[in-house]
Amino acid sequence: MIGVILLFLVCAAIIAGIYLNVTARAAAAGRQIQEMQVRVYGYHYLTGDAGETYVPIEELEQKIANLASQLAYLTSYSIMQERVKDLNLIPIEADHIDYMVVPGYVERQTSSLAPPPVPVVVNASTIDPEFKQSLFDWVADQVGKTVKLFSEAQP
Amino acid sequence: MRKYMAEHVVPAGRIRRKQPVREVPEITHSVREKAGQTLTGWRFNLLGVLFILAGVMIIIQLFRLQFSPERSEFVLQGEQYSRTLHIFYPPRGDIYDRWGRLLAGSTLVYEVGAQVDNVDNPDSIAFALSKVLTSHPEYDYAGYSDDIFAVIHEAQISGTAYVQLADFVTPEELTQLQDWARNYANLPNVDYGEAGRPSLDGLVYRPRLQRYYPENELAANVLGFVNREGNGMFGVESEFNDLLAGAPQSVWMTLDPYQVTEIPQLEAGADIVLTIDREIQAAAEDVLNKGLEDSGADGGVVLVMDPNTGEMLAIASTPRLDPNEYWNYASVFTDNTPYNRAISQDYEPGSVFKVLTMAAALDNGAVTPDTEYVDTGSIQIGGITIHNWDWGAWGPQTMQGCLSHSLNVCLTWVATQLGAGPFYQYMQSFGFGRTTGIDLAGEASGRLKIPGDTDWYEAELGTNSFGQGVAVTPVQMVMAISSIANGKGEMMMPHVMRSMVRDGFQYTPTPQVVGKPISAETARHLTDLLANSLEGESSDALVEGYRVAGKTGTAEIATPKGYTGEATNASFVGWGPVDNPRFLVYVWLEKPTSSPWGSVVAAPVFRDMVERLVVLMDIPPDGVLQGLVNH
Repeated sequence: MIGVILLFLVCAAIIAGIYLNVTARAAAAGRQIQEMQVRVYGYHYLTGDAGETYVPIEELEQKIANLASQLAYLTSYSIMQERVKDLNLIPIEADHIDYMVVPGYVERQTSSLAPPPVPVVVNASTIDPEFKQSLFDWVADQVGKTVKLFSEAQP
Repeated sequence: MRKYMAEHVVPAGRIRRKQPVREVPEITHSVREKAGQTLTGWRFNLLGVLFILAGVMIIIQLFRLQFSPERSEFVLQGEQYSRTLHIFYPPRGDIYDRWGRLLAGSTLVYEVGAQVDNVDNPDSIAFALSKVLTSHPEYDYAGYSDDIFAVIHEAQISGTAYVQLADFVTPEELTQLQDWARNYANLPNVDYGEAGRPSLDGLVYRPRLQRYYPENELAANVLGFVNREGNGMFGVESEFNDLLAGAPQSVWMTLDPYQVTEIPQLEAGADIVLTIDREIQAAAEDVLNKGLEDSGADGGVVLVMDPNTGEMLAIASTPRLDPNEYWNYASVFTDNTPYNRAISQDYEPGSVFKVLTMAAALDNGAVTPDTEYVDTGSIQIGGITIHNWDWGAWGPQTMQGCLSHSLNVCLTWVATQLGAGPFYQYMQSFGFGRTTGIDLAGEASGRLKIPGDTDWYEAELGTNSFGQGVAVTPVQMVMAISSIANGKGEMMMPHVMRSMVRDGFQYTPTPQVVGKPISAETARHLTDLLANSLEGESSDALVEGYRVAGKTGTAEIATPKGYTGEATNASFVGWGPVDNPRFLVYVWLEKPTSSPWGSVVAAPVFRDMVERLVVLMDIPPDGVLQGLVNH
């Protein structure tokens, strides 16, 4: 009788341990995702963000926009004119240009800023199921995969 | 046998003896021990009962809470701690020139505030901010430091968690504040007296985006600007504000890591690609600045349009404001000066209007290019006498001569030959008296008085024929003249938006034909007339190697005392190359002082512009092009 009770307790302890392990990992992953999405509490400390591991997507987009603007400034008309002067270049005049026929020449095209077309997946989740499913979902999933694996392995 | 013996014989010395009953000694407890055991048991039992009672109470309380009137309040409190409201501000859409060069983007700025509970020394914070943010007019005043201290102090009293102290802080200023914070943190631990240890603890910041114009003043009149509240003002920023801004979205972000949700798909602001060519715009602004300097004019406009599509390649206007410092608006645009003269300021165009009068008359058949008119130096109409610009009589003139010499008397006669009704019908067909519909905010409609209006008199027909007594904007002029310049008679709607990029797709509207006020044949004949006129006059507008058509204009400016020859509007409109028109250029200089005449001050500006245009647009000289075609 005692042996049965002990067996039951050991099994319960193993399941509890696995459950705690999985849920702890899920919680950690969930927190990582949150930190990658937004700065949850909103603010940076002036003396530095100790322990900051991730820069949220929102702030990355802001940094990208900022860098694009900096690049635009560095290639702006006035800056380019200064570089032209530094290089001792002068604007060409119409009567100094030689024109020639270039077979197959394609005239300069105006800007196309749209990204190349990609397959559109409607309502596709970007969060892996491991971060969202419960322990029981995970077990059922693993069992299903195993069964599928064995069924596919059969001739 | 052995077995038998074994069963019946008991070896000597191993006689089994009955084992004596082993008596277990009775455990005896003293009376005291018995009493203690009873007491311990009683205590354990009591403890057990208490625990059970506590558990039962907790369970009862849990059930009670589920049905108590305060349940909703507790749920609300729980929700407050389980999630946080986050407002997503999608970046404002970018604005590009036709080749994809960024004209308006975004840059990082910071909101600085205090987490009140963590503030150690409000004095230090107030002092640091007042010293670092001196470049902000709104923070650069004597009592700013005291105000900061008061704000933090009030927040501490009221228990407010966070207060905003400054906004639009630049990265450089933030770096300075961070340096201050580090320096304070490294101070030795000594007694700092009543002031306390200096510290910027509790000062926090949050990054966000602000509109930024990398080209500074370039194309500022076209772009407009975005004000402190994030609203587009003037130009493209105002016209397309709803498209560019995107929609901010408030989202409750859960703090429960098991319930992470995806960031919602934000409706980001659309990007806009303009028809403006940065290089041509810069050239137009350069040429205009030089023209103003040479002529001493108060202000001016240079417009460059593709007459085949209505695309505006450049819109240069004065004065110009650096949109990154939009707060200087009031000091730049004084005396009701419009933000963009090209669309918002109407004026009497003068002789450039004769092009349209002649177009109407040729199209109507009232005159032909060879029609001869004997100019006597004056003509009566509606009770007034019209004279030529030089008060002279030019004798017999063909229509080309009338245009070449810009004869007011001849054009008045042409208008009378056409008749008031058809003349004004043509002028309305050319779009005068109403806005063109250009996609820029703040367009003026001008004024075209027509028969039937209470303030229209017969004499208007004469004065209108040479561009006096009619108020037009420069963009109305280029729209009207596009019908002649493109050689097809089709009037193209001027526009600055070439395409829009939204949700990963680029939409490019097709150019719109506003109307066809004249025939293609009329357009070609008139272009020839005007090209010949320029060549015959050896105009300053001629460009070596390229055949261009055009017309000068000089209009007296109306004052409360009547028209005065001392202040004029000098204009020039021209297009080319005549055989394959690629550009239409309009120049307007307001009140030039070096000379009042458009032929003297405006025509050279046109020539300078075209000389740069043909290089920037890769337009070979006519002779070279002909050679290449034959090749």
